[in-house]
Amino acid sequence: MDELDATIHQPARLQIMAALCQLSPRNQVDFSFLKAKLGLTDGNLGAHLLTLEEKGYIAVEKTFVARRPKTFVAATAAGRRAFDAHAAALKAILKP
Amino acid sequence: MNISPEEAARALGDIEASRTTMRVVIRSHRGHYHLWLWGSIWAAMALLAEYLGLPGMRIANCLVLGGFAASALIILGQKTQVRSTGHKRFVGMLAAIVVFAFVWPLVLRGPANPKSGFAYSALVSMFCYIMAGIWFDIYLLWVGLVVSALILTGLFFFPAIFWWWIAVLCGGTLIGTGFYVRFFWR
Repeated sequence: MDELDATIHQPARLQIMAALCQLSPRNQVDFSFLKAKLGLTDGNLGAHLLTLEEKGYIAVEKTFVARRPKTFVAATAAGRRAFDAHAAALKAILKP
Repeated sequence: MNISPEEAARALGDIEASRTTMRVVIRSHRGHYHLWLWGSIWAAMALLAEYLGLPGMRIANCLVLGGFAASALIILGQKTQVRSTGHKRFVGMLAAIVVFAFVWPLVLRGPANPKSGFAYSALVSMFCYIMAGIWFDIYLLWVGLVVSALILTGLFFFPAIFWWWIAVLCGGTLIGTGFYVRFFWR
Protein backbone atom coordinates (compact mmCIF):
# COMPACT_ATOMS: atom_id res chain seq x y z
CA MET A 1 0.00 0.00 0.00
CA ASP A 2 1.26 3.49 -0.89
CA GLU A 3 2.25 5.78 1.99
CA LEU A 4 1.96 9.52 2.40
CA ASP A 5 5.13 11.48 1.70
CA ALA A 6 5.67 14.26 4.26
CA THR A 7 7.90 16.22 1.85
CA ILE A 8 5.26 16.31 -0.86
CA HIS A 9 2.28 16.74 1.44
CA GLN A 10 3.13 20.32 2.42
CA PRO A 11 0.45 22.34 0.50
CA ALA A 12 2.76 24.47 -1.63
CA ARG A 13 5.00 21.53 -2.52
CA LEU A 14 1.94 19.42 -3.29
CA GLN A 15 0.79 22.03 -5.83
CA ILE A 16 4.29 22.33 -7.27
CA MET A 17 4.57 18.58 -7.78
CA ALA A 18 1.04 18.33 -9.19
CA ALA A 19 1.86 21.06 -11.72
CA LEU A 20 5.23 19.58 -12.71
CA CYS A 21 3.94 16.02 -13.00
CA GLN A 22 1.26 17.24 -15.41
CA LEU A 23 4.01 18.12 -17.88
CA SER A 24 5.46 15.46 -20.15
CA PRO A 25 8.83 14.10 -18.94
CA ARG A 26 10.86 16.17 -21.44
CA ASN A 27 9.18 19.48 -20.53
CA GLN A 28 10.32 22.11 -18.08
CA VAL A 29 8.39 25.06 -16.66
CA ASP A 30 9.63 28.60 -16.10
CA PHE A 31 10.22 29.55 -12.44
CA SER A 32 8.46 32.94 -12.79
CA PHE A 33 5.46 31.37 -14.44
CA LEU A 34 5.20 28.71 -11.71
CA LYS A 35 5.49 31.40 -9.05
CA ALA A 36 2.64 33.40 -10.62
CA LYS A 37 0.38 30.38 -11.11
CA LEU A 38 0.84 29.16 -7.54
CA GLY A 39 0.71 32.61 -5.95
CA LEU A 40 4.06 32.24 -4.17
CA THR A 41 6.89 34.67 -3.60
CA ASP A 42 10.36 34.21 -5.10
CA GLY A 43 11.84 33.20 -1.75
CA ASN A 44 9.01 30.89 -0.82
CA LEU A 45 9.00 29.04 -4.12
CA GLY A 46 12.80 28.89 -4.15
CA ALA A 47 12.83 27.32 -0.68
CA HIS A 48 10.23 24.70 -1.61
CA LEU A 49 12.05 23.89 -4.84
CA LEU A 50 15.29 23.45 -2.90
CA THR A 51 13.58 20.99 -0.54
CA LEU A 52 12.18 19.02 -3.47
CA GLU A 53 15.51 19.12 -5.32
CA GLU A 54 17.36 17.81 -2.27
CA LYS A 55 14.98 14.86 -2.18
CA GLY A 56 15.65 14.24 -5.88
CA TYR A 57 12.04 14.93 -6.83
CA ILE A 58 12.75 17.80 -9.20
CA ALA A 59 15.58 19.04 -11.41
CA VAL A 60 16.38 22.76 -11.65
CA GLU A 61 18.18 24.21 -14.67
CA LYS A 62 19.48 27.77 -14.75
CA THR A 63 20.05 29.19 -18.20
CA PHE A 64 19.85 32.34 -20.31
CA VAL A 65 16.98 33.17 -22.68
CA ALA A 66 17.49 36.31 -24.81
CA ARG A 67 20.42 37.24 -22.51
CA ARG A 68 18.24 37.11 -19.42
CA PRO A 69 18.75 34.57 -16.65
CA LYS A 70 15.96 32.03 -16.51
CA THR A 71 15.30 29.10 -14.23
CA PHE A 72 13.42 26.08 -15.49
CA VAL A 73 12.06 23.30 -13.31
CA ALA A 74 10.99 19.74 -14.10
CA ALA A 75 9.88 16.70 -12.12
CA THR A 76 12.33 13.78 -12.11
CA ALA A 77 11.29 10.15 -12.61
CA ALA A 78 11.71 9.61 -8.85
CA GLY A 79 9.55 12.69 -8.19
CA ARG A 80 6.82 11.42 -10.47
CA ARG A 81 6.82 8.04 -8.75
CA ALA A 82 6.72 9.66 -5.30
CA PHE A 83 3.91 12.01 -6.32
CA ASP A 84 1.84 9.19 -7.85
CA ALA A 85 2.31 7.14 -4.69
CA HIS A 86 1.31 10.11 -2.52
CA ALA A 87 -1.81 10.79 -4.59
CA ALA A 88 -2.73 7.09 -4.42
CA ALA A 89 -2.31 7.17 -0.62
CA LEU A 90 -4.60 10.21 -0.39
CA LYS A 91 -7.27 8.44 -2.45
CA ALA A 92 -6.94 5.34 -0.28
CA ILE A 93 -7.76 7.42 2.81
CA LEU A 94 -11.04 8.48 1.22
CA LYS A 95 -12.10 4.92 0.36
CA PRO A 96 -14.50 3.41 2.90
CA MET B 1 2.13 10.18 8.76
CA ASN B 2 -1.64 10.18 9.40
CA ILE B 3 -4.20 12.68 8.13
CA SER B 4 -7.97 12.91 8.28
CA PRO B 5 -10.23 12.12 5.31
CA GLU B 6 -11.14 15.83 5.16
CA GLU B 7 -7.49 16.81 4.83
CA ALA B 8 -6.95 14.11 2.19
CA ALA B 9 -9.93 15.42 0.22
CA ARG B 10 -8.59 18.96 0.46
CA ALA B 11 -5.15 17.83 -0.75
CA LEU B 12 -6.69 15.98 -3.71
CA GLY B 13 -8.66 19.14 -4.54
CA ASP B 14 -5.43 21.15 -4.51
CA ILE B 15 -3.80 18.60 -6.80
CA GLU B 16 -6.67 18.80 -9.28
CA ALA B 17 -6.63 22.62 -9.23
CA SER B 18 -2.91 22.66 -9.93
CA ARG B 19 -3.27 20.09 -12.72
CA THR B 20 -6.05 22.11 -14.35
CA THR B 21 -3.86 25.21 -14.37
CA MET B 22 -1.05 23.33 -16.07
CA ARG B 23 -3.37 21.72 -18.62
CA VAL B 24 -4.31 25.18 -19.90
CA VAL B 25 -0.63 26.03 -20.33
CA ILE B 26 0.23 22.71 -21.95
CA ARG B 27 -2.61 23.06 -24.43
CA SER B 28 -1.30 26.44 -25.52
CA HIS B 29 2.09 24.84 -26.25
CA ARG B 30 0.80 21.81 -28.09
CA GLY B 31 0.76 21.76 -31.84
CA HIS B 32 -2.92 22.27 -32.53
CA TYR B 33 -2.31 25.51 -34.45
CA HIS B 34 0.18 23.67 -36.67
CA LEU B 35 -2.24 20.79 -37.16
CA TRP B 36 -5.02 23.16 -38.21
CA LEU B 37 -2.67 25.05 -40.51
CA TRP B 38 -1.14 22.02 -42.23
CA GLY B 39 -4.40 20.10 -42.40
CA SER B 40 -5.92 23.06 -44.27
CA ILE B 41 -2.87 23.39 -46.54
CA TRP B 42 -2.90 19.67 -47.38
CA ALA B 43 -6.60 19.81 -48.21
CA ALA B 44 -6.11 22.91 -50.37
CA MET B 45 -3.07 21.40 -52.14
CA ALA B 46 -4.91 18.20 -52.94
CA LEU B 47 -7.96 20.02 -54.32
CA LEU B 48 -5.75 22.36 -56.39
CA ALA B 49 -4.03 19.31 -57.88
CA GLU B 50 -7.39 17.64 -58.55
CA TYR B 51 -8.99 20.60 -60.32
CA LEU B 52 -6.08 22.63 -61.76
CA GLY B 53 -3.48 19.93 -62.46
CA LEU B 54 0.12 21.10 -62.85
CA PRO B 55 -0.64 24.86 -62.44
CA GLY B 56 -2.44 23.92 -59.24
CA MET B 57 0.66 22.13 -57.97
CA ARG B 58 2.67 25.32 -58.50
CA ILE B 59 0.16 27.29 -56.41
CA ALA B 60 0.34 24.48 -53.85
CA ASN B 61 4.11 24.93 -53.59
CA CYS B 62 3.50 28.60 -52.71
CA LEU B 63 1.04 27.44 -50.06
CA VAL B 64 3.74 25.21 -48.56
CA LEU B 65 6.16 28.13 -48.36
CA GLY B 66 3.43 30.23 -46.75
CA GLY B 67 2.79 27.35 -44.34
CA PHE B 68 6.42 27.25 -43.27
CA ALA B 69 6.36 31.01 -42.67
CA ALA B 70 3.11 30.74 -40.67
CA SER B 71 4.50 27.83 -38.60
CA ALA B 72 7.62 29.87 -37.84
CA LEU B 73 5.44 32.80 -36.69
CA ILE B 74 3.39 30.49 -34.46
CA ILE B 75 6.57 29.14 -32.84
CA LEU B 76 7.96 32.66 -32.34
CA GLY B 77 4.64 33.80 -30.86
CA GLN B 78 4.59 31.05 -28.23
CA LYS B 79 5.71 32.13 -24.81
CA THR B 80 8.54 30.25 -23.13
CA GLN B 81 6.59 29.30 -20.03
CA VAL B 82 7.07 25.65 -20.88
CA ARG B 83 9.95 24.36 -22.95
CA SER B 84 11.21 21.00 -24.07
CA THR B 85 14.69 19.78 -23.25
CA GLY B 86 16.98 18.65 -26.03
CA HIS B 87 14.90 20.42 -28.68
CA LYS B 88 17.95 21.87 -30.46
CA ARG B 89 19.34 18.41 -31.21
CA PHE B 90 15.88 17.34 -32.33
CA VAL B 91 15.58 20.30 -34.72
CA GLY B 92 19.02 19.37 -36.08
CA MET B 93 17.85 15.80 -36.64
CA LEU B 94 14.72 17.02 -38.45
CA ALA B 95 16.82 19.29 -40.65
CA ALA B 96 19.00 16.30 -41.61
CA ILE B 97 15.91 14.25 -42.46
CA VAL B 98 14.49 17.03 -44.66
CA VAL B 99 17.80 17.55 -46.49
CA PHE B 100 18.15 13.83 -47.22
CA ALA B 101 14.48 13.67 -48.20
CA PHE B 102 15.35 16.08 -51.04
CA VAL B 103 18.41 14.04 -52.05
CA TRP B 104 16.87 10.55 -52.12
CA PRO B 105 14.44 11.27 -55.01
CA LEU B 106 17.36 12.63 -57.07
CA VAL B 107 19.27 9.39 -56.53
CA LEU B 108 16.22 7.27 -57.30
CA ARG B 109 15.24 9.42 -60.33
CA GLY B 110 12.26 11.06 -58.62
CA PRO B 111 8.66 10.04 -57.99
CA ALA B 112 6.88 8.61 -61.04
CA ASN B 113 3.93 11.04 -61.00
CA PRO B 114 2.41 13.94 -59.02
CA LYS B 115 0.44 11.59 -56.78
CA SER B 116 3.45 9.57 -55.70
CA GLY B 117 5.41 12.85 -55.42
CA PHE B 118 2.83 14.27 -53.04
CA ALA B 119 2.63 10.97 -51.14
CA TYR B 120 6.43 10.95 -50.78
CA SER B 121 6.64 14.50 -49.36
CA ALA B 122 3.62 13.86 -47.12
CA LEU B 123 5.22 10.67 -45.79
CA VAL B 124 8.44 12.56 -45.05
CA SER B 125 6.50 15.09 -42.98
CA MET B 126 4.62 12.27 -41.21
CA PHE B 127 7.97 10.62 -40.47
CA CYS B 128 8.93 13.89 -38.75
CA TYR B 129 5.65 13.74 -36.78
CA ILE B 130 6.47 10.20 -35.67
CA MET B 131 9.95 11.26 -34.55
CA ALA B 132 8.43 14.21 -32.67
CA GLY B 133 5.92 11.82 -31.08
CA ILE B 134 8.69 9.53 -29.86
CA TRP B 135 10.70 12.50 -28.61
CA PHE B 136 8.10 14.90 -27.16
CA ASP B 137 4.42 14.05 -27.12
CA ILE B 138 2.81 10.71 -27.88
CA TYR B 139 -0.20 12.10 -29.75
CA LEU B 140 2.10 13.16 -32.60
CA LEU B 141 3.22 9.55 -32.98
CA TRP B 142 -0.37 8.41 -33.47
CA VAL B 143 -1.10 11.23 -35.93
CA GLY B 144 2.00 10.27 -37.92
CA LEU B 145 1.11 6.58 -38.00
CA VAL B 146 -2.57 7.07 -38.89
CA VAL B 147 -1.97 9.67 -41.62
CA SER B 148 0.91 7.62 -43.09
CA ALA B 149 -1.38 4.60 -43.31
CA LEU B 150 -4.07 6.75 -44.95
CA ILE B 151 -1.61 8.16 -47.52
CA LEU B 152 -0.39 4.69 -48.51
CA THR B 153 -3.93 3.30 -48.64
CA GLY B 154 -5.05 6.14 -50.89
CA LEU B 155 -2.01 5.86 -53.14
CA PHE B 156 -2.16 2.10 -53.68
CA PHE B 157 -5.83 1.21 -53.31
CA PHE B 158 -7.76 4.34 -54.33
CA PRO B 159 -5.66 6.14 -56.97
CA ALA B 160 -8.77 7.35 -58.82
CA ILE B 161 -9.90 9.42 -55.85
CA PHE B 162 -6.43 10.05 -54.41
CA TRP B 163 -6.63 13.86 -54.20
CA TRP B 164 -10.03 13.85 -52.55
CA TRP B 165 -8.78 11.07 -50.26
CA ILE B 166 -5.86 13.28 -49.18
CA ALA B 167 -8.02 16.40 -48.82
CA VAL B 168 -10.78 14.81 -46.75
CA LEU B 169 -9.10 12.00 -44.82
CA CYS B 170 -5.51 13.19 -44.38
CA GLY B 171 -6.23 16.94 -44.16
CA GLY B 172 -9.32 16.16 -42.09
CA THR B 173 -7.35 13.92 -39.72
CA LEU B 174 -4.82 16.68 -39.08
CA ILE B 175 -7.51 19.32 -38.50
CA GLY B 176 -9.62 16.96 -36.38
CA THR B 177 -6.60 15.98 -34.28
CA GLY B 178 -5.93 19.69 -33.76
CA PHE B 179 -9.42 20.09 -32.29
CA TYR B 180 -9.02 16.95 -30.20
CA VAL B 181 -5.70 18.10 -28.80
CA ARG B 182 -7.01 21.61 -28.15
CA PHE B 183 -10.20 20.63 -26.35
CA PHE B 184 -9.94 17.06 -25.07
CA TRP B 185 -6.31 15.92 -24.72
CA ARG B 186 -5.24 15.35 -21.11
